Amino acid sequence: MYLDHFEYHAPQTSGQAMDLIESLGDKARLLAGGTDLLLMMKDKTLKPEHLIDINNVEEYKGISYEPGKGAVIGATTKIADLEHSTLIQEKYYALHQAAGELGSTQVRTMATVGGNSCHASPAAETPTPLVALGAKVVLSSTSGEREMPLEEFITGNRMNALAEGELLTRFLVPDLPPKSASRYSYIGLRDAMEIDAVNMAVNLTVEDDGRTVKDLRLVMGSVAPRPLVSTEVPSLMIGKEFDEKLLEKAAQAASEEAKPISDIRASAEYRRKVVAVLARRLLKNAFDAVREV
Amino acid sequence: MKQLISLEINDRVYDLPLDPRDLLVDVIRKKVGLTGTKKGCGQGDCGACTVLVDGKPILSCLTLAITCRGKKITTIEGLTGDTGELHPIQQAFVDYGAVQCGFCTPGMILTAKALLDRIARPTEEEIKRSISGNICRCTGYKKIIEAIEAAGNTISAEGVK
Repeated sequence: MYLDHFEYHAPQTSGQAMDLIESLGDKARLLAGGTDLLLMMKDKTLKPEHLIDINNVEEYKGISYEPGKGAVIGATTKIADLEHSTLIQEKYYALHQAAGELGSTQVRTMATVGGNSCHASPAAETPTPLVALGAKVVLSSTSGEREMPLEEFITGNRMNALAEGELLTRFLVPDLPPKSASRYSYIGLRDAMEIDAVNMAVNLTVEDDGRTVKDLRLVMGSVAPRPLVSTEVPSLMIGKEFDEKLLEKAAQAASEEAKPISDIRASAEYRRKVVAVLARRLLKNAFDAVREV
Repeated sequence: MKQLISLEINDRVYDLPLDPRDLLVDVIRKKVGLTGTKKGCGQGDCGACTVLVDGKPILSCLTLAITCRGKKITTIEGLTGDTGELHPIQQAFVDYGAVQCGFCTPGMILTAKALLDRIARPTEEEIKRSISGNICRCTGYKKIIEAIEAAGNTISAEGVK
């Protein structure tokens, strides 16, 4: 399995990277972690004439946090760095969980958070919690920057909203209000190196009374071409007191809202059932976590 | 087009004529001649090609050699001391019978090295999670886990790096 020939570029600054992306256009592909890209080049589904390695650009990597504003996560931050970040673990637990479930130790060491969203596999781990946490992406080019919610950036199965000359440079994750918690889970055939049959993330905020749902985002992965943001579950639960009956209704609503297909990993029917199970479990876990805060 | 690239492997610098498409695993095995690193699936699934880059475990079958300029690459050969004495993890694999056919062993040991560098005495669960990207088809996981646990204890006690 040898790769076809290509020209390799290793820009050291953001300016150099954006110049290359603009001048090479669709003849070039960006190399981040390479765990998806090199596989596609090996099986010849992709034959780029140029590779632009963006890993040497310092400003594209790393995690920073400012209270009240939130976190900025560079696009070439490794999944393992998210997994081991105490900041991510403390503030954005669902993202910590998802990062730890991606691939294997080696894949997490190599793969990047930006690559995971740009590749836009419907079964990807990190977009689900990032969307639940309200993350925005920053897209940069020689003509400037623009922001958009991650759920709008991922436009379909392996499709994203990058225009020609643009690259995803960072994620902006808002700070969480008090009395909120996020949780992530998935169902797959095994733990390591699996591709999720269904994954889900919940981001829950409750009122000062500790019972009434103030805000809620529930996002499902692998049950639609792109991360599916539930509208039914928040409209059922926001403003109501959290109890078992409401939880059951919400789980059913999530299940009806999912748009799964049958494929090699699971049937649509099974996925629908799993959605209800995960929704019930995650809403409960997030609610319990909020009450402990 | 080939260009002369310097790669630092096991504390030695090699100047190699490389094409950008050359994969790290092929360069290590064929151009440098260190055949301890194994090529298994070639798709990043089996972990046999694991090497350490700047101390972290990566899949050399999905890594372009050219991207490793200026980094420290460690292969299984680099773990052994100058006079040939085994690293405590290698010794533990021998002592606990954690090697059968041996094909997964270099990748297993290097993944374990990265784990023990991060967590001196990992739990069984942490060991299992850590090596879950390294496939052993001789079903020797139990002894491998025991060996890594023992190596962690030895290293902690002796302060070996």
